[in-house]
Amino acid sequence: METLIHNLKLSWHSIQRAPLPYALTLLILSLGLGTFFSNATLYYWMNRDPIPEKSQTLFMARLNSLPGDCTDCFEPPRVISYMDVQKMSGSGITSAEAAMFSSNAYAKTLENQQATPSQVELRVTQRDFFKLFNVPFLQGETWPDNKARMEVVISKNTAIKFFSRTDVVGQDMLLDDKLYKVIGVLDDWSMLPRLYDVNGRRSAEPAEDIYIPLETAYDLAIQSNTQNSFTDVDWDGNMATYPQMARTNFANMLQFWVQLDSPEKVQQYQQFLKNLVQDEKAAGRHPRPEGNKLDNILDIQKAMRATNDQLDAFALVASLFLLVCVVNASHLSLNRYMANQYEFSLRRALGASRWQLQSQIMADVLLSSVLAFAAALVFAQLGLWTINSLLPGTRALASWDWQMLGVMALFVVLVSYLVTLYPALKTSFSPLNQQLKQ
Amino acid sequence: MSVFLIIKSLLRRKVVTALLLLQLAVTLGLVVNSLLLASAAKELVDQPTGLSLEQILTVWVKPTSKALRLEPALSEVINRQLAAVRQISGVEAAVYANQIPLRQGGSNWNIFEVDRQDETNVDSVPYYNSSEQIFQVLDVRLITGRLLTELDRGALNIVLTEKLAKQLFAEQNPVGKVTNNGTVVGVVSDFYSQRYASHPFYGQIVLGPLHRAEQGYQLIVRVAQGQSEAVRKQLTDVIRNAEPQMDIGTVLRMDENRDDVFRSEIGLATLLAVLSGLMLLVAMISAYSHAHFHALQMQKEVGIKRALGASKARVLLDVLSESWLTTAIGAGFGILVCYGLNISLAKVISIPAVPVWLPLLTLVLLLLCVTLATWYPARIATRISPATATKTL
Amino acid sequence: MIKINNLSKIFRTDLIETHALRQINLQVNEGEFAALTGPSGSGKSTLLNVLGTLESFDQGDYLLDGRSVKGLSDRELSALRNEKIGFIFQGFNLIKDFSLFDNIELPLRYRGFSSTERKRRVEQALETVGLAARRDYHPSQLSGGQQQRVAIARAIAGEPRILLADEPTGNLDSLMARQVMELLEKINQQGCTILMVTHDPDQARRANRHIQIVDGQLNDSSMYEPLAAGA
Ligand SMILES: Nc1ncnc2c1ncn2[C@@H]1O[C@H](COP(=O)(O)OP(=O)(O)OP(=O)(O)O)[C@@H](O)[C@H]1O
Ligand SMILES: [Mg+2]
Repeated sequence: METLIHNLKLSWHSIQRAPLPYALTLLILSLGLGTFFSNATLYYWMNRDPIPEKSQTLFMARLNSLPGDCTDCFEPPRVISYMDVQKMSGSGITSAEAAMFSSNAYAKTLENQQATPSQVELRVTQRDFFKLFNVPFLQGETWPDNKARMEVVISKNTAIKFFSRTDVVGQDMLLDDKLYKVIGVLDDWSMLPRLYDVNGRRSAEPAEDIYIPLETAYDLAIQSNTQNSFTDVDWDGNMATYPQMARTNFANMLQFWVQLDSPEKVQQYQQFLKNLVQDEKAAGRHPRPEGNKLDNILDIQKAMRATNDQLDAFALVASLFLLVCVVNASHLSLNRYMANQYEFSLRRALGASRWQLQSQIMADVLLSSVLAFAAALVFAQLGLWTINSLLPGTRALASWDWQMLGVMALFVVLVSYLVTLYPALKTSFSPLNQQLKQ
Repeated sequence: MSVFLIIKSLLRRKVVTALLLLQLAVTLGLVVNSLLLASAAKELVDQPTGLSLEQILTVWVKPTSKALRLEPALSEVINRQLAAVRQISGVEAAVYANQIPLRQGGSNWNIFEVDRQDETNVDSVPYYNSSEQIFQVLDVRLITGRLLTELDRGALNIVLTEKLAKQLFAEQNPVGKVTNNGTVVGVVSDFYSQRYASHPFYGQIVLGPLHRAEQGYQLIVRVAQGQSEAVRKQLTDVIRNAEPQMDIGTVLRMDENRDDVFRSEIGLATLLAVLSGLMLLVAMISAYSHAHFHALQMQKEVGIKRALGASKARVLLDVLSESWLTTAIGAGFGILVCYGLNISLAKVISIPAVPVWLPLLTLVLLLLCVTLATWYPARIATRISPATATKTL
Repeated sequence: MIKINNLSKIFRTDLIETHALRQINLQVNEGEFAALTGPSGSGKSTLLNVLGTLESFDQGDYLLDGRSVKGLSDRELSALRNEKIGFIFQGFNLIKDFSLFDNIELPLRYRGFSSTERKRRVEQALETVGLAARRDYHPSQLSGGQQQRVAIARAIAGEPRILLADEPTGNLDSLMARQVMELLEKINQQGCTILMVTHDPDQARRANRHIQIVDGQLNDSSMYEPLAAGA
């Protein structure tokens, strides 16, 4: 301990003797680390497994059922129709399944009818949604079945925003002037990346405020705000006929998620889809080639082409930048050690062992690590701020948890060590006489 | 000093030199590719859109009450809003539309000639449901046939953009052809419609009511030259006064919509430009501190050379030519890095191939930076008297 | 060859002024081998530096080969130094990144000789100092005496008219010192004027002229007269 303090003191003195070169080395190193960290942060949030306990069992299913005799259309559409969902549901193979889309509405409470309504994000979905993605309930529970009902589940923040409390099960809310009863309040929950809906590259958006039943949405003509694809739809725009039209046409806007608990179940469900398509073809429907997709939740960004390519490109560049900075810093620290080489050699000539010099170097590394880490965090914050303002859809990805900070700190120590390793070896192991001469 | 001598002394400092070269090579590679991306982004943004960007304002609105989002109330509200907007001085025309041009994506219909669906089907073509003044607002030229008028409202008549008409009917006269979306009555000049549609310049225009406004709708305003800011200031209030139960988005000029469409590209290009700047800065710092660290050793060396008869200018040239040579060698490897990086980047994003002149230009830039950074310490080293420098310690 | 009149040199620092040379008059003729002695700090090195145009002076005149060095530009001074003057420093002052060959070749490059000419001269100079076999060595691989001989080789390779040597045998043993002295005498016999600073009375006696400097002033410049050692 005492030697450590002594060594730290020596390091500090040697910095003080030539502060500018040291500051520049540190600047370069932390600049590289900072840029790398800011990118790694985004990359981590964008590519992590948000639900590791069951990600292996969650799949999104799609059918290539669109009309039109297109023999080279193998890729199913990104969103599917109500008819598709009807056919893929109730197989008995899945342990949970839910169709869904996102929308929005203006909400207010009954007590506060005069207030200007505020916009809320909706997730239109089915009973199993909360089970599929392990969404925790604070109060109440999900709908008893998938039937239409004027009942909603709301997030904790929404409850607090509209009612200023969380025990609001049984309360009424107005959504786009329709009256709904709150039957459940969620605990704090978010999924980052929000893999259950990556369409429109919205995987970095927060979870929705209010959850309403799918059948209700179809009855009330609530539509997706992400993607509605109408193919060969013949409709006069009369709202009275919307529910019927949307349920029986290729008015595609749904995503359908299933939970399949084992590889055998996955196999079975794939077979189920195959048989389904055969039956459809036999009945004269499903004119396009079979193109069933059962994508695991961890592959979904790729499958839906929702990866943030700009971020990937930047990741590559940021890693190279780090390399440049590390190389640079080690070049500079080599220079610094060379400048002190005479002193090093003299100390060795005076009897310091290599180990003593090494421990001196370790003290150097420690000191640089602490300083570099602090500076790197500052640069990383600046970097995140810049990226957030330049690249759309990255704002939610900019936070750190303790674990990340720990990993980053370790990384800094490692890099600092690397940077000093060669110079240290060089100064403490090269032949003595050569250094003392001249 | 001769190139040969510099190389010899570089070779004696293998590790330092290798580090220096590696760093220079990667810097060059990165700067080249960043410049490339930046220029590609600029080209994307600067491409002709067929629209007079400065003279079109757009604003998204949505009635906050459900009743106002359905006919007949909806049409009544829209007419009230448009009438009010047209009163603003500087406004030449104003229309509603289901969507605006110059977007990433939006509402599309497939389109085909009714008797030749399989050969002519185009998957996603943006459609504009609007009113008569839409052509004036967008300022598109009539190529053939006629424009739509209020008489076409509700009738299944349709106007196509030139590129779409070409795609559907090739050299045939499109006027009178029957598509799944209506009979073609005219063709107008191309404008940038949706980036991710089947083709960015495909578009189809119909006249008709919106029916409902669950996703809101757009008001598009054409303003006189130089009036956009004046109109923009009043627009929100005028719309709100026409109908208070209204959620009103930000008023955007068309060039702002365009920047939004290419935001990812502009963002990445800016980011990489910043990073390139940093990288050049790092190269400069490195050259500077390299020279600075070596000042002691250099001073002695410079002193000896001066005593042996080298002039100040000559010594300065010596020091500089050492950094020039290392930069040039580093840049030589850099060209390899630059092509390698280009290939790897092309796997994730679209990036043009490296033109030959660009690495050369970057090399010049790099040389300039390095010279700038080496200059000062080199000058200082030459300034000290050779008598002092050659004195024994 | 060298003629200085009333030359003074003052070092000014923040605190003190040092009068390193006071009103010196000195003439050194072609072909002379002059020894310069004096106590430490008396201004020997300073005088040598002034003569070698490494250092400017404050008052007086300096004619080198009949030409005043006052008012010459840096470029002209450098050329003058390069052509006419050879230096042997108190420390050896070799460039450590260069091989012996490159070290010796350097002033010849400044002179603009062709590479064959340079090669010939370097090899001849190395031959003269007896280090021809080590031409590719680096300075750190040599003994002190060997390094000094390289420095001499570098000084004579350009066949200068005048050789300025600052304690060339200062840190050498007596055997080495004698060898270096013999070398210098040989060079002198070939017609090169030599001005040498030394602390060794024997060496001073071997020169054909002895100049003494005390406290920045020349004491005597009697010719061909061996003097008793100074300090
Ligand atoms: N650059 C300088 N700045 C200030 N004073 C200097 C400088 N160089 C020399 N001096 C002073 O000038 C005086 C003469 O110094 P010089 O080096 O000529 O002595 P010297 O006779 O060569 O001594 P030695 O035998 O120890 O080498 C000394 O007092 C020294 O302190
Ligand atoms: Mg001296």
